[in-house]
Amino acid sequence: MVGQVLISGVLSGALYAMVALGLALIYGVMRVINIAHGPLLMLGAYTTYFLYSRAGMNPFLTVPIAMAALFVVGVLLQRTLVFRVVDAPELSSLLLTFGISIALVNLAQLAFTSDLRAVEFITGAWVIGGLALSKPRFIAFLFAAAVTALAFLFLKYTRLGKAIRATSQSREVALVCGINVARIHLLTFGLASALAAGGGALLAVIVAVQPEMGGVWTFKSFLVIVLGGAGNYPGALLGGLLLGLVEQLASLFLTTQLSEVVAYVLLVLVLLVRPAGLLGGRQT
Amino acid sequence: MTRARGAVLGALAVVVAALVVYPAFGTGYGVRATLQVFMWIALAGSWNLISGLTGYVSFGHVAFFGIGAYAGSILIATAGWSWPLAALGGGIVACVLALVIGYPCLRLKGPYFAIAMLGLNEVLRALVSYFEGLTGGGNGLSLPTLDATTSIYYVMGGLAIAVTAVTYLIITSRFGLRLMTIREDEIAAEAMGIDTFRHKLGAFLLSAAGPGIAGALTARDQGYIEPISVFPLVVTVTMIVMVLFGGKGTVWGPVLGAIALFVIQEIVWARYPYVHPLLFGAIIIAVVLAMPRGVLGLLQLKYRLPRTI
Repeated sequence: MVGQVLISGVLSGALYAMVALGLALIYGVMRVINIAHGPLLMLGAYTTYFLYSRAGMNPFLTVPIAMAALFVVGVLLQRTLVFRVVDAPELSSLLLTFGISIALVNLAQLAFTSDLRAVEFITGAWVIGGLALSKPRFIAFLFAAAVTALAFLFLKYTRLGKAIRATSQSREVALVCGINVARIHLLTFGLASALAAGGGALLAVIVAVQPEMGGVWTFKSFLVIVLGGAGNYPGALLGGLLLGLVEQLASLFLTTQLSEVVAYVLLVLVLLVRPAGLLGGRQT
Repeated sequence: MTRARGAVLGALAVVVAALVVYPAFGTGYGVRATLQVFMWIALAGSWNLISGLTGYVSFGHVAFFGIGAYAGSILIATAGWSWPLAALGGGIVACVLALVIGYPCLRLKGPYFAIAMLGLNEVLRALVSYFEGLTGGGNGLSLPTLDATTSIYYVMGGLAIAVTAVTYLIITSRFGLRLMTIREDEIAAEAMGIDTFRHKLGAFLLSAAGPGIAGALTARDQGYIEPISVFPLVVTVTMIVMVLFGGKGTVWGPVLGAIALFVIQEIVWARYPYVHPLLFGAIIIAVVLAMPRGVLGLLQLKYRLPRTI
């Protein structure tokens, strides 16, 4: 039983980490919580669904396409709307991204209808030594782990990645060092949207795709960055794994109906006991 | 008392008197629509108390409406309370929930509160479905039949007036000034010796009571509730749009926004229900970017109206 919980927890935790890293990047760099993060994930899931059902593509190979498409969407959103509220009070950025979020969900309902869509590409599980390893979840885990690793390598070693981290540490100093902060903001929002889209694309293989699937992901991504410590990028990894494990552990005792309640209680407890996150303060 | 002030008070008295006698003459639809307007004024005004005054955005205010509806219905159906008492009970339960959420989330600056409220709605919906024995689960909860629309009209009207009056009292008090200081600069507020946590929590509790009572009254009026009917996200969105449109942080902004949005909704948008959220999303984006102070805020700037409007 414990082994099964560990496996399932780690499998879903990698997806959480990947999606939450996007939210953490935007928050770290711009101090904006993007409420539309979940709906962007939903758009990524639809990209995969349509490429799979209309063009017959292997859904796992659509991951980079969904990420590229939503990178563009993210850059456009930042370019047209979000940049206006980066320096505004928190109220403005929260409300603006909330407005974007409900508009995106409604657009998806109009364009794609509210029908549940499924990508039945691969099903079943491998059984190894009494432990079940869901095939779609395992492959999704591999992709999520790879994408997250690439994102970290990008942040750690490339010039642009360093520029993103520098802007996240101090925008003024970054500006003084000759970093084009407005461009870094564009890049960050695009990258974050791409990470959400990648999560959505992988999720499409696992669960049903529908316009409202994203809402809970905004919340869970935020929970992940609170667990790891806001503004602490490696913390998102730990937070994601932890959320996955806690949810799986809770499903042993409670119905899956209550999994969101478990996540919520976890958020409230962490805010009560250790509001700076489990790894503490900002480390970029 | 200045002459302008007397004129405003006189006009208000006329409006209130007209609304008091209205059910004797009005059509069934008219009374029901006015009752709805009262409800929206109470809801929008309550959202304004926490989000408009302190700047802490509540994305889940419908949770208080929903929990008030459930608490009220359970008190009426299971405990056999009379509906006015049950409505009060709904308000109290909503305040208790606000305390449980507000205590951990309002101690911190930043977006924690907003996100916690964003998730609250889903959580309550899941809990209501889970505790089927008490709430009827997905089947909903039916109340004994009772035609109390006219009485509920008066109570809801009283609630709308009460929320607006409380807003006026707060905005003109030291408590309100401190709340607005928190909104403008929380660190400065702390430096001036304001216990920001207790002020935020106080505003939040006040803002939860109105929706809780309104929820219980609405449940009594409709006679039947189910999780999707009392926890819809669109109610929160509507409250937010009404306050932003009218002018957040003002006394009359929520009233103006509630009436304007309700009328527009009934006349124009009822024909296009599918694009409703899209329009709301667009309004939120447009108001945040183009007129963050809302209609009243613009008028205040232009005509040098008093701050307490």
